Amino acid sequence: MIPLLRLDNLQVTYGRVVAVKNVTLEVNEGEAVCLVGPNGAGKSSTLLAVMGAVRSRGDVFLRGTSTRGLQPEALAHLGVAMVPEGRHLFDTMSVKDNLVLGTLARRRGRTPRIDERWVAELFPIIGEFASRRAGLLSGGQQQLVAIARALLSDPDLLLLDEPSLGLAPVAVDAVFEALERIRAVGVAILLVEQRAQRATDFCERGYVLSDGEIRLEVTEGTSEDPESLMAAYFGR
Amino acid sequence: MRSKFRLVAELVGPLAAVAIVTVFGSTMSIAQQGNVTNILVTTTIVVALYVFTGNSGVMSFGQISFVAVGAFAAGILTAPTLTRQANMPSLFKFLSTTQISNFDSLLLGAGLGALFAFLVGVVLLRLSGLSAGIATFAVLEITYDVLSYWDKIGPGVMPVVLVPVTTTLVMGALGLGVAIVVAFAYQRTRSCRLLRATREDAVAAQGIGISIFQHRLIAFTISGAIAGFAGALFVHELGSISTGQVYIDLTFATLAMLVVGGTGSLWGAVLGGIALGVLESFLSNAENGVAIGSWHVTLPNGLSVVIVGVIMVVVLIFAPKGISGSHEFLERFFSHRPAKAGTGTEPESTAKMTDEESSEVPLSPRPTS
Repeated sequence: MIPLLRLDNLQVTYGRVVAVKNVTLEVNEGEAVCLVGPNGAGKSSTLLAVMGAVRSRGDVFLRGTSTRGLQPEALAHLGVAMVPEGRHLFDTMSVKDNLVLGTLARRRGRTPRIDERWVAELFPIIGEFASRRAGLLSGGQQQLVAIARALLSDPDLLLLDEPSLGLAPVAVDAVFEALERIRAVGVAILLVEQRAQRATDFCERGYVLSDGEIRLEVTEGTSEDPESLMAAYFGR
Repeated sequence: MRSKFRLVAELVGPLAAVAIVTVFGSTMSIAQQGNVTNILVTTTIVVALYVFTGNSGVMSFGQISFVAVGAFAAGILTAPTLTRQANMPSLFKFLSTTQISNFDSLLLGAGLGALFAFLVGVVLLRLSGLSAGIATFAVLEITYDVLSYWDKIGPGVMPVVLVPVTTTLVMGALGLGVAIVVAFAYQRTRSCRLLRATREDAVAAQGIGISIFQHRLIAFTISGAIAGFAGALFVHELGSISTGQVYIDLTFATLAMLVVGGTGSLWGAVLGGIALGVLESFLSNAENGVAIGSWHVTLPNGLSVVIVGVIMVVVLIFAPKGISGSHEFLERFFSHRPAKAGTGTEPESTAKMTDEESSEVPLSPRPTS
């Protein structure tokens, strides 16, 4: 079976700094995969490279087709949605307008699996602040709006960059509950997290990234040895 | 309703300002009328700058190139053919013999401005931030050099002379009015809305599938068309044109007007153009001596430029969004009112899409339980 996403020897460099050395990974249709690792491991750079937002070497295949040279907006139209780190809402626009913009990249000629109603049911709380300015919301509320906006493009693959960063524990729970339901309708998820335990508990498979390289692949069912996970995480 | 009024004000405000200036101008002496016409034409250029810079958030120092192209094309092709053959003997044959009407030359200016801007934009608009700004400046330099030295397309270092003078006060006002209507209409388009989203957050905009390049290119081309049109108006106002008149001085004068008025709104562009224009022409009159009541003042030469510079710095410090606050005309007046009973929690809803438009999309994220 052709994986939905495949990275083949992906490399990202910023000037002389090598952020991602050699990453090969796969995400299958409907699968939740996490990428964990400490600060500066190259997790965000990997996601940005998938989205075409930074230059990279190596190959990125989406449904078996190389995405070389595609801009982020083109990937959005191919069914990849990203919730960037720091949420990146349009702060001066209302929540509603932010969500309307999320529907832009919806692919034509097919009934969306995820539509406005589905998202409204997923996050009923957004209805309470739909007419407020996005910049005035709390971090947790913004995160939900950012996820909702990404979902409204009806993606096949959702890239999430540290969705729990800076959130209160109860808000983190809300985010993971939502991810659970998103996975249930068949959207594949590639989740970047520093909170390794939470992320690996949620996902079927996970990769531990450290110093730009994959140190360990964790699969559900294989009894994870917490010590080897820690060792890989800290690059020992 | 509320947003309808707001929309009408957005267009009528700038047009009314132009009408007031024109009516005042018409009561003045012929010499002063010339100054007022110049203010109107310069403000047309400011509107052109605004269409790109205001909506995209990217500074461009190159828009005067499009003014130059419009001005030279309109000037050369409307000057008497005999003058052309005498003053510009090396011109390409079609440039030396084709004669077009003054009205056609305005359309030609707009068309060439748009074409040139499109070609430049295709190459440059993939850049962003500072590099885009510097690259547009390079375009200005190249245009200036080519126009100054290539005598097959122009008079070289000499000015184009004996261009029919048809940009009167009223024509200047009409020209500016057309530019305002075009800028306003563009602002209503989907492409402009999306461009404004990229201005606010480029990362997020690309992430949701907006092509920054495509929408910037559209704005750049429309801006080029208005700039070329303004160039044609300009040459018919002056009756002659030389490359030095459409170069750095004009670039900075018009950028100052845009910044002082407020980069983010059409109202700001028009207000800045008119306000600084009036001030500059008053000050340059004062350099020749003016009577304020019984008090006769003569300012030292060159002081007007200094004063305008100081005003720009003061505005940047105390009102970084310009004297309009980058709001449209009466925008704050309308948006201070609560939107609907119960949801009026937003004192400053400057959302780029008004409630009215967004509700057309059947999005109702309400609790379903």
